Amino acid sequence: MNSTVPVPAVVSAVRLMTADTSLLTLRTEAGHPVAASFLPGQFLELSLPGVGEIPISYCGYPVPGGSIELCIRHVGHVTTPLKAVAPGDAVGVRGPFGRGFPLPEYAGQDLVLIAGGLGMAPLRSLLLALVKRRDLQGRLVLLCAARETGALLFLDELLELKAQGYIELHLAVDKADNCLNGPPDCRVALLPALLDLLDIDSGRTCVAICGPPVVYPLLVSRLQTMGLESARIHLSLERRMKCGVGRCGHCAVGTRLCCVDGPVFSNAELVGMEVSLA
Amino acid sequence: MATQFIANHNLELLLERLRTYAEVHAPVRGDDGGVRFAALTPGTLPDLAAPRTLLPPKKYLLQPRETILNYTDEAGYQLPSVISSPLILFGLHPCDLAGINYLDQVFTCDDPDPLYAARRSALILVGVSCSPDEFCSCHRSASPLKATSDLFLNVLDGGFAVTSGSPRGDELLDLANGIFEERESAIPEDMRRFFGHAVTAEVRPELDATLPEWQELADRCLGCGVCSICCPTCYCFDVLEFGGLDGRSAARVRQWDNCLFKSHGEVAGGMSFRKNRAERFRYRYRHKYHGFGALQGIPSCVGCGRCRVVCPAGLDLRPLAERLERWLP
Amino acid sequence: MRRLRLAIVGLTACSGCQLSLLNCEDELPELLKRFDFHFFPMACSPALLDDEYDAALVEGCVSMPHERELLEELRRRSGYLVALGTCAVFGGVAALRNGEDREQLRRHVYDDNQVAVETCDPQPLASVVAVDAGVTGCPPEKEELLRLLAGLIRGALPVGIDYPVCTECRMRENLCLLTERNMLCLGILTEGGCGARCPGLSVPCEGCRGPLVEANLTEALEIYAQKSFDRATVLGRLRRFCPEWQS
Repeated sequence: MNSTVPVPAVVSAVRLMTADTSLLTLRTEAGHPVAASFLPGQFLELSLPGVGEIPISYCGYPVPGGSIELCIRHVGHVTTPLKAVAPGDAVGVRGPFGRGFPLPEYAGQDLVLIAGGLGMAPLRSLLLALVKRRDLQGRLVLLCAARETGALLFLDELLELKAQGYIELHLAVDKADNCLNGPPDCRVALLPALLDLLDIDSGRTCVAICGPPVVYPLLVSRLQTMGLESARIHLSLERRMKCGVGRCGHCAVGTRLCCVDGPVFSNAELVGMEVSLA
Repeated sequence: MATQFIANHNLELLLERLRTYAEVHAPVRGDDGGVRFAALTPGTLPDLAAPRTLLPPKKYLLQPRETILNYTDEAGYQLPSVISSPLILFGLHPCDLAGINYLDQVFTCDDPDPLYAARRSALILVGVSCSPDEFCSCHRSASPLKATSDLFLNVLDGGFAVTSGSPRGDELLDLANGIFEERESAIPEDMRRFFGHAVTAEVRPELDATLPEWQELADRCLGCGVCSICCPTCYCFDVLEFGGLDGRSAARVRQWDNCLFKSHGEVAGGMSFRKNRAERFRYRYRHKYHGFGALQGIPSCVGCGRCRVVCPAGLDLRPLAERLERWLP
Repeated sequence: MRRLRLAIVGLTACSGCQLSLLNCEDELPELLKRFDFHFFPMACSPALLDDEYDAALVEGCVSMPHERELLEELRRRSGYLVALGTCAVFGGVAALRNGEDREQLRRHVYDDNQVAVETCDPQPLASVVAVDAGVTGCPPEKEELLRLLAGLIRGALPVGIDYPVCTECRMRENLCLLTERNMLCLGILTEGGCGARCPGLSVPCEGCRGPLVEANLTEALEIYAQKSFDRATVLGRLRRFCPEWQS
């Protein structure tokens, strides 16, 4: 089948995560690469028939049974109508596309994952992959921030991983809303401030970042101050990836295409580029 | 040297023979004076002297707006059936041939675009040499793109020297048996000489955003998109989906897009990665002169001059490129 | 599939937008299957505004107090409120005299007859209520109306158009009426989507679809000036469909 034609998928579960974000579970034909052989950080193109198609990062881990988890914020032309989908509804999927996080490079390293808001979605995929082979890594740290406690995605899961000793977890929210009812140890701080809590061995640490583009420059410069080389910092970029196969011309970052060469780039690849961070 | 020569007065005869092989489209001057690639009906001669057509031949490969997928609840998304009968494009200038060569690299790589590939395989290209006018810049350039054709007509005094560039070209030559004469003629320098060079654009990590030209271009750009519509190598497309009133069917459509449009760099929620026109011009420049993705390093301006001719504000990226790009003379 | 309940209403306007919808004759049977045209005074009687609506499609601008009330009522009762046509989106022809003394205008029309018409400067819908989407055009293209309705079935609103009439005009391989034929064509400042209907027939664009997003008026006026069309003439033409075009 050609990569431009979506394959059918059926919504098998919908879970409202926050006021504007849902976790969709889709089921597609078992063994199809779109479900069975993606890497954390890659994305797929999700079609809502009659409405349109959008790029969405995988947020789960490949399973042979053909099920896919996608975390969707309902803000756009396609994602708004997606709020109404229910189990049994038909959608279409194409993928997997792009280059994900460099898992082989992470072997034997300490890992710091930095997630802001919806950026937790692709990093959850990475986190699940790392936890699955927890023996391959040294430390596994997750810094996770959101607007408010209610917007911290996958919180129960993260707290459980922490409780079981799989990860070190630091949480923050922008606003001190009802932090009292929030998770333990959740600070009122912006994402870069969580870096101050870390004592890292820069020579054996890799960092994976996904969050609002506005925090990237600050995060990167702090990490560099902490002694991290650019090649050890990976960022997942958001762009308008209409076709997913390098043809529609919308998603270039410098001269690289986010849909084919990314969406995960090492900071070394982005140095000097006009990476408009909106 | 000995060449296959066809006299001007035999051109109509050649076209007649070609029409027995496939429909022939060529530059035709309309009643309004505009020159467009269109079906060449018997008795009409192509306008081979016109410097350029309004739209480049890419319209035969990527239509301005076309359905790329059909959806029904029963069958899911399906490719539309493309019935492409052979079509001869007659009278393509080397720049337009090079433009097709570039589009081929974008759309017929390892994972070809099915609609493009179907149309492309049905096209038979007949090139013709030309002389640059004040808008052309091919002759001030060198390009890694190849101006290849099935048949090429070199303009000589009183006729054309014809060479074949493919087995299909050989077939066409056979078809025109008896119209050609062997003749000793000095062939002027082939316009295709500007193409097919091992030129690689020097891809710098970033363009100097402080150059005043970006803002000057931005201030004057109307955002009308005609620079890319008329460009033989601009291929950016937007994708839209239209549901049927039955609630069970849909058509997915792609249409020509332009990097100066507001939505080109936007993502869901309205955030834009190219908010102002100066940024968008740098994006355009990078795409044209440095190349994106797998085509990084391959400059795609073929020097046809269309963008300069059609821009209502008379904007032109070329002088800036000639200043910034060392591979351009 | 549940039929969506619609309110289709005309305020100050010519009813041409609503008529465009009624002119979709081939599609009307299908539309009736998908939609309950519950409040559509122009086409169905009785018309009682007594329900909740999935969407209200409103033509025209607001120029009288009762229109403002009706619009606010529609907003309260409707999930989506869509501005239909140039008057609803930009003010349109009725707003041509905005800024002039309304009593003088009244006298100009009714002389000294004591006609009690209370009016205000005609306003686009968005200056009164929150508008979810707009379909511009005088009238909107039939295709656009049908796409709007087909989208509503799926909970989707139309995608905005960010290119001018010129884009589609050149896609049709037309010569440029302004630059190549020296006509006062407003295409470079006007939102596209009409398929360059008028320039395609060698009739200059009159700007009926209103201003293009990010329109470059300064440069356009420069180009018009080079073609000997002065600023006042151009702005006068532009303001026929959108009073917001300022000098």
